[in-house]
Parts: sequence; structure tokens; C-alpha cells
Amino acid sequence: MTPAPLHLASVFVELAGGGGQGAPGVPSLLNRLTDRSKELLAVRATAVTFSPRARAAPWVAASDADVRRLETDAVAWGEGPGPACHRTGRALGGTALSGAVARQRWPRYAPRALALGCTHTAALPIRGHTGPVGALVLLATRQTALTGDLMALGQSLADFAAVTLLREHEVEASRTLAAQLEHALTTRVVIEQAKGALTARHDLSPDAAFTVLRGYARSHRRLLTDVAREVVEGGLDPE
Amino acid sequence: MVCAEQQEILAASAGGDLHLHLADAYRRSAECHLSSARLQDAYADRLSAWHGDETSRPRFMTGVAEACGTTSAALTLMGSDHDQLSVASSDASARAAQDLEFVLGEGPAHDASVGGCLVSAAGRAIESRWPAYGPALASLGIREVLTAPLRAEGSCIGALAVFDPGGGTAAADTLTVIADALTRTVLLGPDADPELYEDADHRDCIQQAAGILSVQAGCRVQDALAMIKARAFADGQPPDAIAEQIVRGTLKLAQGS
Repeated sequence: MTPAPLHLASVFVELAGGGGQGAPGVPSLLNRLTDRSKELLAVRATAVTFSPRARAAPWVAASDADVRRLETDAVAWGEGPGPACHRTGRALGGTALSGAVARQRWPRYAPRALALGCTHTAALPIRGHTGPVGALVLLATRQTALTGDLMALGQSLADFAAVTLLREHEVEASRTLAAQLEHALTTRVVIEQAKGALTARHDLSPDAAFTVLRGYARSHRRLLTDVAREVVEGGLDPE
Repeated sequence: MVCAEQQEILAASAGGDLHLHLADAYRRSAECHLSSARLQDAYADRLSAWHGDETSRPRFMTGVAEACGTTSAALTLMGSDHDQLSVASSDASARAAQDLEFVLGEGPAHDASVGGCLVSAAGRAIESRWPAYGPALASLGIREVLTAPLRAEGSCIGALAVFDPGGGTAAADTLTVIADALTRTVLLGPDADPELYEDADHRDCIQQAAGILSVQAGCRVQDALAMIKARAFADGQPPDAIAEQIVRGTLKLAQGS
């Protein structure tokens, strides 16, 4: 396991979000992390979970589809090296999947991983500003020893990716908030315009006009904004 | 050994720059939270000293203006088409300047938000930059305007303007920090209050009046809005005053009505 320095540098550039058009986004960064860590660490497969928000469902990615399904199940069960490492925030050293400890702690996970041809596993925390936000799971065969050196390089990959992942997540969250704010403000504008149009058409007070709009939206199971927009554009008279 | 060497390569190549960049981002973020906490503390102090008389209710924008070293500040939230969606101001001249920009469709808030950069103009440069807004602003007695965009990721949600700030380049730096702080914590953060503690004005009355006028004149609501703005400019009145008369029925702008 001695990757050429230039290749290594290019992997880190990729994990920093470079090497493509524009910002890569969280899913694409997670795929880069699993693909490149599998290749650099020469393991059989890798999986990653990332949940920057405590209550939201985590993102899951893996170097192949079977392992991705396994990690998704592992998250749902709360069982396996990924969830264990995410909970403690500490690296989980090389563990034999056929050993008594693995079979006892991970009764569902261990047999599935063995069936995929993996014999050992390890996990490294994805570290956020205030605590762990996920885990990078390594699945190996007997050919690759999960040594301290390998774990150290894996942790570097995870730490580096964590910085970019958290940044991308913040960018996406900020975009969503800005879009929600604009939607709320433009909705208010069109509702006021519709109230005005109805007061002029039917000699209503603004409050009465709003009651008419809301009543129509409810009884027709439509969004108040859509009803208001149609009133303003002249096509609809809910009175 | 191999790993230690790899770490050094990393630190020297991709990692070095990134860590510098990160340190900078964290520093800016800390500055931002500090400014925002100060703004909120100052507002809380004002509220607790207030005696409950509605006409003298403390404005959040008063503290924003003070933090920027002036008494006159205006915050404008804009949609993707750069229409004003919500406005808040610290005093009458900031509000008058904001009304001018609304009526005339040009000015520093628009430019800062569209360009995503600081807009600064003083003296004659104001009149040459904005042929309609400039002279009108000068007639309010305002000699200098400094405006920072409210930058979100990949877009601008509006602008924060200060009028006659003085203080040179320091004023621009302060304004940028305050604008970022407001955007990240008060307008868009997880605990945001985009209503600016009841300071925000959505020009509801004007939108209602546009709805009324569109029916009376049989025109599109956008054209009705333009008629209200034109009338406000021609009469030298705030657009709200024109709108109120339309809503009360004392002013008919539609031909033949």
C-alpha cells in the first residue's frame, strides 16, 4: 500500500470538491469518498454514512450496490461497524466478521458481510464541528491487513472529506432556506393582490375577501397561493 | 513511515491551502455570530427599557444602523426578479430612500443585490449613476450611500444600505460583516426571524391597491403597480399614501372611473 504521491494528491483534490464543473454536492462527494478509499486502501469494499442533522435520515453510499444495501440495513437496524463508530465517534479497529464478538454484536450484519466475501471490517468516524456525523466502513478480505498505517490514511481521507461534506451540506441548506423565504414573501404579495381584486369586484372588506379565498381553497383542496394567483390573473372568481 | 510522508505531501499540496481557507472561514463565521449576538442583545436592551407605548416601540433596525455607525439604515429583501418583497428601515430618511428605489426601479439596493457586491457612491456620482433615483436622493439631503448585498449561497436575497455613514473604508467593512451576520442568523439561520422582530413591512396595502386598480382599470396587476408608482412619483408622495387612498376609495386612477 504505497500510492504514488501525485495520485494521492489528486485524490485529495477530488475530495476537496475539485476536478469537476461547479460544486459536487453531497451524494457525489460520498461516492468519491467510497470509491477512492476502496482504491487507496486496497480493501474489498467501503461504505459511508453521513447525517449532519441529528433527526434527518442519513445519506448512505458504498463502493458497490450490495454493500450499499447492507449499510442501509445496518443504519435501519442500528447494528454493525458503521452505526457503532458513528455512535461513539471513535475508530473501530480491524474486527474478524466470523469471530464470536462480531457474531454476537452484529447478528444480522456479520453473516451478510461474510456472504459478500468479506472477512474483516473496520470503521472510521466522520468528524463534524461538534461531534461525529457519520462513519467510513472498510470491508476487507484476508489479503489486506487493517493495520494502523492503513487506518491512519483512511482517517485522513475521512477528515478531509468531512470538511467538504459539511461545507456542501451548509450550502444546500442555505439555498433551501433562501428559496423558502422567497416563496413565503411572494405568496404574501399575491394573496394581498387577490384580496384587493376581490374587494373591487364584490364590494367586500379585505378581511372578508381573505375569508372567501381561504374558503374556496379549502373546499376545493387547493393551495391558497394557487387560488390567489388565478384570481389576480383574472381567470377565477371564487365568490 | 509511508503514511507520515503522505501526510506531509498532503499538508504541502491540497491540504495547506484548504486549511488556510478553513481558518479564514471559521474566523469570518465567528465574527458573524458575534455581530449578530450584539445586534440581538442591543435590541433586547432597548425592548426592556421600553415603556410599552406602541408609537415608540424600539425598532430592530435602529440597532442595525447604530452597529453600522449611522442612524439611517435600510434593509430590503428581494425576489429573484429583484422586486422588493419586504423592507425595514431605522428612520424616515432611510424609508424615503427605500420608497424612491421602489417607485423608480433603480438604486443601490438593486445594484448590490444583482451584482452581489458592495455599492458605494457619494456626491455627484450618485446623480450620474442613477439618473432618476440620484437627484431624488440628493433632494432628501443624503450625500452618501453605501450598500452591501445580503449574500446567500449562490444568490442574493436583498441588500442592506446605510446613508451618510462617514468613516471611509472601515464603514464598508463593518457594513459587510453586519450584512453577512443578518443574512446568516436573522434572515436565514435555523432560528431566523425574517420579520425582523415585527420591523418588516411587506407593503401589503400597495399590493392590495394594485389588485383593486387592476379590476377597476381592467389591466394586469403589474401594470396597476406601475400606475401607483408613477402617481406617487408625480405627486411627490410615498407610494403607501397613494395606495391607502385607492383602498379607501378616495382615489380612482382608472380612466373613466
